[in-house]
Formats: sequence, C-alpha cells, structure tokens
Amino acid sequence: MIAPLRALRRPQGAVAGLWLILVICAALFAPLLTPYAYDIQNLPNAYQPASAQHWLGTDEFGRDLLTRLIYGARTSLSVSATAISISVFCGMVLGASAAWFGGWLDRIVTMTVDLTWSFPEILIALILVAIIGPGTTGVMIAISVAYLAQFTRLTRAQIMTLKGETFIEAARSLGAGNAHLLFRHLLPNALAPVLVSAMLATGDAIILEATLGFFGLGAQPPVPSWGGMMSAGSALVFKAPWVIIFPGLAVAITVVAINLYGDALIAELDIRSRLRREA
Amino acid sequence: MTVSFRKSVLAASVSLAALLSAQALAAQEAVFAMSTNEVGAPTYNPIKATMLNTATGLLFDRLVSQAADLSYHPWLAESWEEAPDGMSWTFKLKQGVTFHNGEPFNAETVKAWLELFKTTEGENAYMAEAIASVEVLDDHTVKFVMSRPEPNLLYNLSSTFMGVVEPKSFAALGDNYGVTEVYGTGPYKLESFSIGQETVLVRNEDYTWGPEMAKNHGPAKVERLTFREIPEDSTAFLELKTGGVDFLLSVPADLMGEVQKEANLAVLTMAGQDVWYMPINVTKAPFDDIRVREAAAKAINQEEILAAVFGGVGAVADTFLISALPESHVSDGAKIKYDPARANALLDEAGWVMGANGVREKDGQPLKVSLWTQSDSIFRRLTEVVQAQLKAVGIEAEITTFDSSTIRDQYKTGEQQLAVRSYNWDNADIVDWFFGADRLGYPNVSMFNDPKAEELRAAAMTGSKNMEERIANFTAYHEYVLTQFPMAPIYQPVQAMAYNKDRIALPEKIDAPSFGAAAFLDLEVKE
Repeated sequence: MIAPLRALRRPQGAVAGLWLILVICAALFAPLLTPYAYDIQNLPNAYQPASAQHWLGTDEFGRDLLTRLIYGARTSLSVSATAISISVFCGMVLGASAAWFGGWLDRIVTMTVDLTWSFPEILIALILVAIIGPGTTGVMIAISVAYLAQFTRLTRAQIMTLKGETFIEAARSLGAGNAHLLFRHLLPNALAPVLVSAMLATGDAIILEATLGFFGLGAQPPVPSWGGMMSAGSALVFKAPWVIIFPGLAVAITVVAINLYGDALIAELDIRSRLRREA
Repeated sequence: MTVSFRKSVLAASVSLAALLSAQALAAQEAVFAMSTNEVGAPTYNPIKATMLNTATGLLFDRLVSQAADLSYHPWLAESWEEAPDGMSWTFKLKQGVTFHNGEPFNAETVKAWLELFKTTEGENAYMAEAIASVEVLDDHTVKFVMSRPEPNLLYNLSSTFMGVVEPKSFAALGDNYGVTEVYGTGPYKLESFSIGQETVLVRNEDYTWGPEMAKNHGPAKVERLTFREIPEDSTAFLELKTGGVDFLLSVPADLMGEVQKEANLAVLTMAGQDVWYMPINVTKAPFDDIRVREAAAKAINQEEILAAVFGGVGAVADTFLISALPESHVSDGAKIKYDPARANALLDEAGWVMGANGVREKDGQPLKVSLWTQSDSIFRRLTEVVQAQLKAVGIEAEITTFDSSTIRDQYKTGEQQLAVRSYNWDNADIVDWFFGADRLGYPNVSMFNDPKAEELRAAAMTGSKNMEERIANFTAYHEYVLTQFPMAPIYQPVQAMAYNKDRIALPEKIDAPSFGAAAFLDLEVKE
C-alpha cells in the first residue's frame, strides 16, 4: 500500500495528488471552510462578480459560488466514488466467479457483460435514471451499472491468467479449497490493476455525474452539483459567465488530476502491461 | 414492403431536391426558433391536440380572425350574422378557397369539419359543443343551429384549435393526420415534421385569402419556413447571434439586454398572453386542507420574482387570467397576493408548528412536499426561488425536474403536489380548461373537483346568452376557483421575440393578438 505514496514523488503525481487531496478535504470539511450556506438565497445580491466577500462571485440567486463549488465537490465525489465502489465490488464478484467456475456461469456473465460493453456508458446511465427517477440515488445506481462491465471483464481476465500459474497449482495440490485459493491467492494478485482502473474510472464517473446533473437528473436543487451548476450557468453565459466557468474548471482539473495520478500509480506499480492486455 | 421502398425512394429524392433548391433559394428562406413553451407539441391535429404551436396557425386558416384590440374580422368567412336570440349563426364563406390537397373549401367541408369535433375522441370537443347542427344553405353559406347561445363562438372560431381541417384526408389518415401529413387551407403547407425537433413549411402558391388585418392576403412572401425546436433559451439566442436562426419566437427577460447589445438584432414585444403559476394538487395531503393551500399560495412573493427572475419585465399575476381580460377583475379579496403573516398564521392554525430546522411539523411528520418543474432553465430558476419562498414559511419543497416533453404524461399520474407551469391563452375559458373536473391530471394538474365550481363552470361555459352575461358568469367562476386555492398565480410576461434585422423585415404594424398568420404573410426576407 506504499505505492500510492510513492506515486506522489513523481512530479505529475505530486501536482495531481495535491489537487485531489485539496478537493477531497474541501468535500469533507465543506461547512468549516466557508461562512456561507449553499442554499440561502439573497436575490438582491445576485450576479456579483468576484470580490473580497465572494471570491468567485455569486450565482443567479445571490449565493456564494465558491461555497456552492465546495459543496458541489461533496456531491460529485461522493456520488462518483460510491458508484465506482459498488461497481468494483460487484464486478470483482462476478468476474472472479465467472473465471474460477467457468462453464455456463462464465458464458452468461461474459455474454451479458459484452452486451452492455457495446453501449456507451452515458446511454445506459440515461436509461437507468429514466427508470429509477432523478436524484443522487438514481445517478449512483446508473453510474455503477454503467461501469460494471469494465470491472467484471478486468477481474475475469486477471483471474484467468493467474489460474494457470504454478503457485496456484502448488497451493491446490497442498489441499487448498476454492475459497482459500480465490481470497488468499487470486483476488489479492488481481487487485492492483482493478483498483488503478477504478481510480481512472472515477474520473470518467465524475464527468458522467456532471453530465446527468447538467440534464437536471442529478442532485435536485438546492443541493449543488458541478453539473447542475454548469447547467444553471449555461443560461447566464453572457450575463454572469463565472457561474458556468468555475464548476467547469473544477470538473476539468479534477478529472485531469485523477488521470495524471493514475498514470503515476500505474508506473509505480509497474502494471501497465497487465492493464493493456485486458482493458 | 413495396410501399415503404417507394416511400423511401420518394423521401430520398425529395430531400435531394430540397438540398439542391436550398442553395438556389437561400434568400427565400427563414429559420425560426419555436417558442420554448411550445417545444414538444406532438401533433398538428387541431381536433385532438391539447397543445398547438405557432406553425399550426400557418397550416390552417380559421373562419374568423382577431385584431390586436381583440375585435373579430373576416378570414375564411366573409361575413356573419347572429340571430337575435343567439340560437343560430349564418356564415358567408369565401369563394375559390382550396385545401393543400386540392379539395375545395365550401359549406359541405365546414359541416363535415365541425362534425369531427363530435365524432373524434379528443379534448377539444367543447370548442364546437354549442353548435347542435350545421345546415348547408348554399355552396358558400352555412347556418349553425345552436343548442344554446354561445357568446364565445367567434373567439372559438378564431382559435388555432378551430383551424379548418380537410375532412376527407382527416378520415383517411386517422392517427397519422397531423403527424405524417396534414392538409388545411393555410398560407403554408407541411413539408416535414419531426416531433420535438423541426417543422419545415413551404409556401402555398395558390393562397389569396389571408385574414383581413394582414396587408398581404397571399401568397406569403417567404417561400420556406423552418421552425426549429430549441428547448434552451440561451442556445436559441446563440443560434440567433451566429446566424443559425433568423427569428426567436420567445426571448426570456434576462436575455433581452443581450439581444439589444447586438447591432444586427432587435426585440419585438407584443401584449402578453402567458400566465406563470403554481398548481396545487388539492387531493394530495397536506394540500387537501384548504388552509395549507392558501398558506402555500400566499407564501409566493410575486414582486420579488418579477424583479429577481424576470428583470422587472412584465407584470405580477394575482389572478389566474391575464389582466387584459375583463374576467380577471375579481373582487380584491379574491386576488392571491403575497402575505407571509397570513401564511404563517394559517399553517399554525392547521396544526403545522415550526420545527427546529425551519421546517414545520405535525404529529412528528415534517411539512415536506414535492415541487415539479420542467428542465428549461427559466423554469428551473423560477422553481428554485419558489422553493426558497416556501421554505421561508416552513414548507420544505423537494424539486423534481422532468423533461419538458414528458412532464404532461407525468401529470396524468396525479402524483404531483406542487408544480411550476405556464400557459398561453387569452380567453377566460382557460379556467374551465385547467380546473374542469373532467380533465383531472392533465390539463387539470390541480386535480380540482369541486361541486360548486362545477355549477359555476356550467353557467359560465353554457349558460350565458350574451357577452356581458358571459363575462359576469366567468368572473364569478374564476373568483370562486381563486378562493379555493388550487394554484398560486405568479407572473405575466410580455410576448418578447427577437430577430435578425439584416435578414428579416417586419411589417410596420402587426394587427393581431399574437405573432401568427397575419404577421407571417407580411414578413419579408431581405436579399
């Protein structure tokens, strides 16, 4: 578990890691960081450009934009991270059992996964949100289903290659059972690439969450989300451009940071070849 | 199989021809962005549709046209006469009028068309309900025999919903009428229609029978009109600014300043016909308690919304009708105005006590309600202000955003509690439309079903012998509905449009209540 720290020693890993720590801290400690509430309207104070009181200006309801951005980080990060965690967990269970038990289970899982793999994530997510209904829960489920195929495939491929390794054969000949082999030998060895790709997928999930938020399907007002803020700002792009620019920048920088840090991590863990082979 | 093959060959050649001619006649075309509240109209069938857009008024002519002062003038009818007892009307029809498919327009077609209102299932039967039968006196004279006096007949006949459809093709096309094909007598014919996207109209070259108030009676000056449906106002504005669109049929207040900044763009305003309001579902607790309804309605600060959301353009609404209508002049006590003290007092009285977090509670239950809105940015913005204003009296409203084209189906479920909506109409019978007990869900989003209201409604809709009586009856009906708080009025905008001055030349005066056929006949595209 030292690799994530070592990745910080690489220059791009350090810059990206710092930004991510900043965003995560902002999300965790939002109420401590800002004197304003994210939902109290002050209509006479609307459309203020950046000033000493409001570092990033105010939105169309006179709310402090920086405050909304910080609370928005909370929504974006928690929704994306939770969704990807669910996705990773379910994907690993499905992928590992498919690879380990093979047979009809493998065929069904592979077929289903390949089928969903052939649709763009946004399409799957939109359909699911339409069924479940708008709101953070709906978006979370939608994102986790949309990325399920990726982790199932990756885990399955890892286990498939590891399955034939001699140390597995050795363990088995020493009398190790299915559970022991899976949980002690196979999954720990498959974990690193899955976690790194989960990290990278979180970046995509943030974009997907923002997209759904932009369509008004994510967190419902007054709860801020970066996508929802951009959507509100799109109507004000001439009048108060900062309302759309700052959440847009927040999404962009965060996603770039996740990718840079992910790259550094891949280099540290020396797993590029394993990721390329499967994903 | 052969049919669809032929159709696709035909479609391919038509679109090829369209491409070729598009270049040659570029100057003869104009592109309009449909008003954002008309986006998603699913059909051009005026007999069945619950919502019709501006293009509908160019496909169908009406017997009667209306001037800006709301007076009535000839169109497909040259003249008319009402019997002194109001029990019959005689209309002289214009000669030489033909439908887009070549069928002649005459007394027989008027009779057949009006019968469609009785034989076709749909929401608009009430438009022609007072006409018991139609007698053909000669080829171009019809007599309407009335089942009761209908002072509103001329208004109905001037409405887009009474655009004269060609009865034979209507019968032959069934549900496809108004979607794949449509035939009227209007100044433009339908070339293509994709729901929620775009409608292309081409000029009716034979047209010479425009409404009296238009300077040009036909054919129209512009050969081809494209109506694009752009749900976002700022996207539509960008299209106008960059030349993708020549004319926006609606511009929200906060973009008017941006339009005026551009040298080549101009704003056109006409008297408004819209009312923004918050329907309250009277069947869903806690709004089955009239005190809670009144409190929610009086928590809405219309002045603040006018200033903050609409930049002070337009006027506040304190009744359900636009102020230009005489039926909007209800007694002062019935007008719904911002009154936070009364709202708080009523909620206390109803047993909802203020909780620690600013949300009222009763028997341990928080006063939490749903607030539906549609995805257009102005709706979302207004809804967020409404949410904050409700919160100020201790009502927590949870916003749910629906796509503008699907929200009407959502209302039909009857699950809504509060919503933010707008309508566009300039007759008092809109009260009947939105609060009539036979239209629960949609259009009656409030699910309002009140015996006394139904009595007053019947009197207003069918019991008036002349205009004064109708006004008195509708005022009483409207006033009673207001006192039951099935909605809170919010705002009345002006009709604001924007256009590219380098491309579009408008007539000096548009003598009509809205931007319709008369305006389109006189409109020119600059070379």
